[in-house]
Amino acid sequence: MHEILYHQDNPYMPERARIVRKYDLTGDVRFFQVRLCNPDKVFPVTSSYSPGQFMMISLPYVGEAPFSITSTPSRPGLFEFCIRKVGRLTSRLFQLEENDFLWLRGPFGNGFPVEKMIGKDLLFVAGGLGAAPLRSLLLYALDNRDLFGKLFYLHGARTPRDMLFREEFFQLKQRKDFRCYLTVDEDPEGDWPFDKGVVTSLFKYVKVNPRNTAAVVCGPPVMYKYVVQEFIKLGIPDANIYMTLERKMKCGMGKCGQCVVGHKYVCVDGPVFTLWDVKNVKGLI
Amino acid sequence: MKKPKIGIYGLTGCAGDQLNILNCEDELLKLFDIFEIKSFVMASSAADEEASLDVAFVEGSVSTEKDLEDLKEIRKKSKILVAMGHCAVFGGVQSMFVGEDWDKMYRKVYGKKRAVTLTKPLPPKPLAAYVKVDAVLPGCPIEKEPFLKLAGLLAKGVIPRHPDFPVCAECKWKENECLLLRGEMCMGPLTNSGCGAICPSLGIPCIGCWGPIEKENWEAEAFLLRERGFSVEDIVNRFAIFGGMERADKLRKFLEAKEE
Amino acid sequence: MRLFKLKRNNLFPFLRGLEGFGELWGPVRKGRKVVYARAKPEEFDLEALRTIIPAKKFFLPPRFTALKFRDNTWEDDYRPRRKVIFGLHPCEIHALNIYHRFYTRLFTDPYYERSKEATLIVGLSCVPDDHCFCYATGTSTVNEGFDLFLTDLGDRLLVWVGSPRGEESLKLVGKFLEDVEQKDISDYVAWRKRRDAAFKLKVDLDGMPEIVSFSYDSPVWEKMGRACLSCGTCTMVCPTCTCFDLEDEYDLKRAEMHRERFWYSCVFREYSMVAGGHNFREARSERLKLWYTHKLVGFMSEYGAPACVGCGRCVVSCPVGINVISVVRALRQERTTALWTKMEVKDA
Repeated sequence: MHEILYHQDNPYMPERARIVRKYDLTGDVRFFQVRLCNPDKVFPVTSSYSPGQFMMISLPYVGEAPFSITSTPSRPGLFEFCIRKVGRLTSRLFQLEENDFLWLRGPFGNGFPVEKMIGKDLLFVAGGLGAAPLRSLLLYALDNRDLFGKLFYLHGARTPRDMLFREEFFQLKQRKDFRCYLTVDEDPEGDWPFDKGVVTSLFKYVKVNPRNTAAVVCGPPVMYKYVVQEFIKLGIPDANIYMTLERKMKCGMGKCGQCVVGHKYVCVDGPVFTLWDVKNVKGLI
Repeated sequence: MKKPKIGIYGLTGCAGDQLNILNCEDELLKLFDIFEIKSFVMASSAADEEASLDVAFVEGSVSTEKDLEDLKEIRKKSKILVAMGHCAVFGGVQSMFVGEDWDKMYRKVYGKKRAVTLTKPLPPKPLAAYVKVDAVLPGCPIEKEPFLKLAGLLAKGVIPRHPDFPVCAECKWKENECLLLRGEMCMGPLTNSGCGAICPSLGIPCIGCWGPIEKENWEAEAFLLRERGFSVEDIVNRFAIFGGMERADKLRKFLEAKEE
Repeated sequence: MRLFKLKRNNLFPFLRGLEGFGELWGPVRKGRKVVYARAKPEEFDLEALRTIIPAKKFFLPPRFTALKFRDNTWEDDYRPRRKVIFGLHPCEIHALNIYHRFYTRLFTDPYYERSKEATLIVGLSCVPDDHCFCYATGTSTVNEGFDLFLTDLGDRLLVWVGSPRGEESLKLVGKFLEDVEQKDISDYVAWRKRRDAAFKLKVDLDGMPEIVSFSYDSPVWEKMGRACLSCGTCTMVCPTCTCFDLEDEYDLKRAEMHRERFWYSCVFREYSMVAGGHNFREARSERLKLWYTHKLVGFMSEYGAPACVGCGRCVVSCPVGINVISVVRALRQERTTALWTKMEVKDA
């Protein structure tokens, strides 16, 4: 009988990329700008993606882990990540220098349903490292400003030093076509010029048309409950409230099972879920 | 790239782990080629104890004041400290009753007069009871393959992480019949993987020599073994051999509760 | 579907003929256990019901090297050998169908695909024992997912041809096959009646998705969690369990790094633990709940059928008797005598 011919496309095979730029955003979070060594590659890596998708970053000898893409597809060619040093893989990543290699697979995940958001007011609420995936959608919306209604971005951090993309948001605050509110829980150095208090305290500034608003939240697990309550208070429907979740993932393709919640694979059915999903799948948040 | 400098040391133990490194006969040259070995007294008397180390492998438990001094010294000069073998990782068989009145136990073995020793004895404890341990290689003794894999990653500058799931997984991969179902006193569900389920594959129940996994369900195991007709004493004795300090302590409480 | 018959005394030559496709594997008894092993036709145990590990091991082995890395280059040299797997019962084939849908959904798993390409599946009928419940799961007969399927009628076997590959294999073994007659069909129908009457283990799976969903806060889970050894045996022996883990290994004596892929289990503590130590399912009861929710609810909504094929492996494998039967009965508030229900533990 005939010999079997294997095609070479293997979605587990990481693709080589180079660190173009890196700098520290906070004490333990670093920004990485990465470019694929072969930009024409479309499989298993493709350079087009949607806001809210993630990639598997692979470092040989250590392993792989998922990281949300923090850059916007409207500025193509580069992938950006915000990475907090928490484990073996991220510690290794922090040892890398500009021009060093790392390996990528993806993009994976559903991403934000941008097409459903067109024409709507957008309300973003970010806490801590949650700013990473939201920045992707925010920059996308700003680059395509006329596609959306009002734009509100609320961002909370523990202290001014812990605020990701602080300078970038200071700049963005100048823009007239979009409202950006920043708050910190504590201000030990006493030079914070904006709001103080938890992120939900910023809801007083929000003026959107609730029936025509897409609300997006990402942050530490404890934050969701309070922020979602505020969305509901505003009158935003469950199906228009989006959250992006974190889980352990080894494959990114709905196979390894480690991100499963109920019958959802966070890596392919998520990481973006609506409040409706969350109400129907126990254990998502 | 400069060769990583390593040292291989033994505290109180049988030296079986160091011996198993020497038993890696085919790979020994490779090992000596990749690493610059600064101290390995079991293999060579030419040791350089002044040198700072990239990696120190330490076997044995801390059972004397001399052990403790040596360990602190090793820790100070090493970037990465690897606890190697059950004694170093969990305290070894000698630590099974550490929670009890240790002086009484000591007298029981050595008599009323203090035996002549070079250094003051201490209740045996694992390295992590005294110093920061960066990586572990369990086993009594360690196995060749896991050692070579650990050493390989260390040579690449990666700190290895031992998986934490029971040996039952490896046992099933080898398509063994479950010895607990056959009524044997098998410690598999409590014991970390890594050995490749050597004993159960030969029909010999696991005695737990790779040490416990974290948050193992020893209550359920004890319940099951009681159902299978084993006496509390037998179960406790088997548990205690490789259970390490913590579990020995839990077991004592378990025993006390049973006696009430 | 094409149907033939095979005289009993031609079975071994028939199987030997299939070796023209690849290595011949089938159920072989070793002491008290049965395993799928490479063997001669005479060594197969035709009465064997369940092997320790199901046929999933042929499609994604318990542990294999998925990728190799050396000099900044990745390599994938996973090349399964061509195999004929003989003796798969309907439950096994149903499980492989679930496996197939799962591994080709959205992203096709290349390792699975290659193994599938390299395998000829030859099914075999069976008569249930006390632990089989494929009648309840609707998986006691099978219409697809095999290349050839043999039903044992004693002096002869009926041979169904289930795929183009099965059809092609007739070039190797067609000479042993004869056309069926009316009597063969009536004998087969009678055999089916006898076989269907032989199921002793009864379990009611009707409405399980709803029952499991509404039992989310049931104390049953906590009780089960107390008794679960977290050994992972249920997941390793389950023919529809698919979870795996990846780990980078670099053995000093090798030139290249190996990215190893191995079967993993949702009952293990680190299953839902992310870097930094946060565990989304710290409690054993939460992990068991995931297992049963995924089997009995999750697959229902995704594929329209539960991911249990009634093979009975969990029934004979769990040391404390946590299995589909006892869990379903407990959730239905029916009587069960499983060992885990007897465990009374004081708080440690």
